[in-house]
Amino acid sequence: MSIQFVEDKHIQYVIEQESHRTFEYWLSEHLRMNGLYWGVTALITMKSLDENLNRQDVIDYILSCWDSKNGAFGSFPKHDAHILSTLSALQVLKIYDLELKMLSIQQKSSLVTFIKNLQLPNGSFQGDKFGEVDTRFVYTAISALSLLDELTPKIAQSASNFIMECFNFDGGFGLSPGAESHAAQVFVCVGTLAILDKLDLIRNETKLVNWLSERQVLPSGGFNGRPEKLPDVCYSWWVLSSLSILNKKHWVDLNKLEQFILSCQDLKEGGLSDRPDNQTDVYHTCFGITGLSLIDHKKYDFIEIDPVYCMPSEITKNFKKWKK
Amino acid sequence: MQHGIKRQHLSEEAKKSKLEKDQIKIKNYKSLVDQLFQFRDDNLYNEDIFKLTTKCLLINPEFYTMWNYRREILLNLNNTEIFINYLKEDLIFLLGLLKKFPKCYWIWNHRKWCLMELVDLNKADWDFEFNTISKLLELDERNFHCWQYRRYIIANMKKDLDSTVIEEIDRREFDYTTTKIQNNFSNFSAWHQRACSIKLVKHENSYDCLKDELDLIKTGIFMSPEDTSIWLYVKYLLTDTFFIDSIKSKNDYMDILQDQLKVVEEVNELENEDTGKDNVECLKMIIFLKDLIMKQEGNDKFDKDIQNIIHKLVDLDPLRKGRYKDMLQNQVLTE
Ligand SMILES: [Zn+2]
Repeated sequence: MSIQFVEDKHIQYVIEQESHRTFEYWLSEHLRMNGLYWGVTALITMKSLDENLNRQDVIDYILSCWDSKNGAFGSFPKHDAHILSTLSALQVLKIYDLELKMLSIQQKSSLVTFIKNLQLPNGSFQGDKFGEVDTRFVYTAISALSLLDELTPKIAQSASNFIMECFNFDGGFGLSPGAESHAAQVFVCVGTLAILDKLDLIRNETKLVNWLSERQVLPSGGFNGRPEKLPDVCYSWWVLSSLSILNKKHWVDLNKLEQFILSCQDLKEGGLSDRPDNQTDVYHTCFGITGLSLIDHKKYDFIEIDPVYCMPSEITKNFKKWKK
Repeated sequence: MQHGIKRQHLSEEAKKSKLEKDQIKIKNYKSLVDQLFQFRDDNLYNEDIFKLTTKCLLINPEFYTMWNYRREILLNLNNTEIFINYLKEDLIFLLGLLKKFPKCYWIWNHRKWCLMELVDLNKADWDFEFNTISKLLELDERNFHCWQYRRYIIANMKKDLDSTVIEEIDRREFDYTTTKIQNNFSNFSAWHQRACSIKLVKHENSYDCLKDELDLIKTGIFMSPEDTSIWLYVKYLLTDTFFIDSIKSKNDYMDILQDQLKVVEEVNELENEDTGKDNVECLKMIIFLKDLIMKQEGNDKFDKDIQNIIHKLVDLDPLRKGRYKDMLQNQVLTE
């Protein structure tokens, strides 16, 4: 028997994120921009964005997080610019306006400078000037440059070379050369290569797809992030989007995965958690719902989500396709 | 992002009372943050403010902007002696935080930053760092931040050392993975590390090394054949050029593959006696080996045997049924 998807409760849950201003809420300012992106993405996937969030309020909030010293977005007003909050900001702004007209020409050009300056000679990217190197930041930077239509052959070449250095013997990707394979890192690496039209660099693609399909475990049917670890709803997105990019969604049991995601809902108060009966949050709510969209968006009357950008396909289809 | 925390449904009343209780904490925290941002706007960098950032980061170690401010204060100390002391004290402060928040990226990031500053001043104590990370890894043997940091420490330790000492370090790292694996065969993080470090250790020849490794994993396979981590490592041993190139002849390679096949078939037999069913991981390994053997023999079409096993897998491992069907249709095993 299938568990029902409690859409109305999830919508309510996402909207109310802003109203439960407990101590923990104030401690999560550093994630607020990402949280906004997760909330907006969850709502738009359920076709419920415009009636629930005021467009101008959202844009105003994002613009209030502009860090003029560094020329990019922080997570909260007065917080420093970081590549993670910058991508989230751009993704949401792009949903509202493909041309990003709410940003000045100067802002756009300083964003490009900010991102390009984070690239290191080996092709990798730092998260900020103090930050360390991680394939997460490569994806974030490449996706952001793609949203700004500012990719160059030189950046594409060096970034994809770095990504391939993170490919492991088991078929997965790690956070840096020599690091253990991890499903979230696989998504960022495959996603980067997809944006850069460089998927053909993966010589042993079937090994990679095998590794991805092995992430599905019983009895739950959910995906784990690494061998011999517990399943978690967020991997529904990281793994299934990667499989989707590689045209191999049918290598896992989508029906079982769907049941696992549904079992992680809080049926009473809305929202989804990492595993059944755990504490919900907007991050797992977003990736559970986008996961369901990848499984069968028509069944839920969701919009289709682009597995590469984790944004509505309606929006991303307008992006200028990068050709090497 | 919440991971592994039990769900709680608070009554309206409990929510209200929590919010009331939170008010004082919120007020104190916010005034601390406001104060710090004001100091930063005023370009103030001193030791009193440094202490305030400590207070703030103890409450919220994820506050990356506050870590940035802390680094700015450190960089503005204009006495090298004091700077070094602060960095060393920060390493201790960070150890405490890492014990409480072992998965917080920002804390690890700051630790690396402090260390790199000490390196520039020629004051890094790698042995101290190495012991620290070893202790942290005891607390969670799968924490990928810890493993990553350990690799980072080792890479730095090896700089400027002569080759015999480097050899010792590589050998010690390799032995470390042996210990970790013997404690827990399912620890794939240790298998991963082994796969990387095995290539660095000096072997008489990699052929003997391959043989030794295959002996070592045999116990593990018999003990827990359903464990996916060992199989990934075995596949690596049997296909990576580091080992394969050391095998003198095609016949020797075939012997190794046949031996492995025998072992896996035996394990599967035992599983069959125990449970009345084939073991899925064994079956996957059997077709992997048979496919390798087949290719060595110059065949590129599945024989009946492989096809039968794949059909079995469709039933026994239905999650990945689509994969097996593709295999049958394309007559390629994938790897
Ligand atoms: Zn998760």
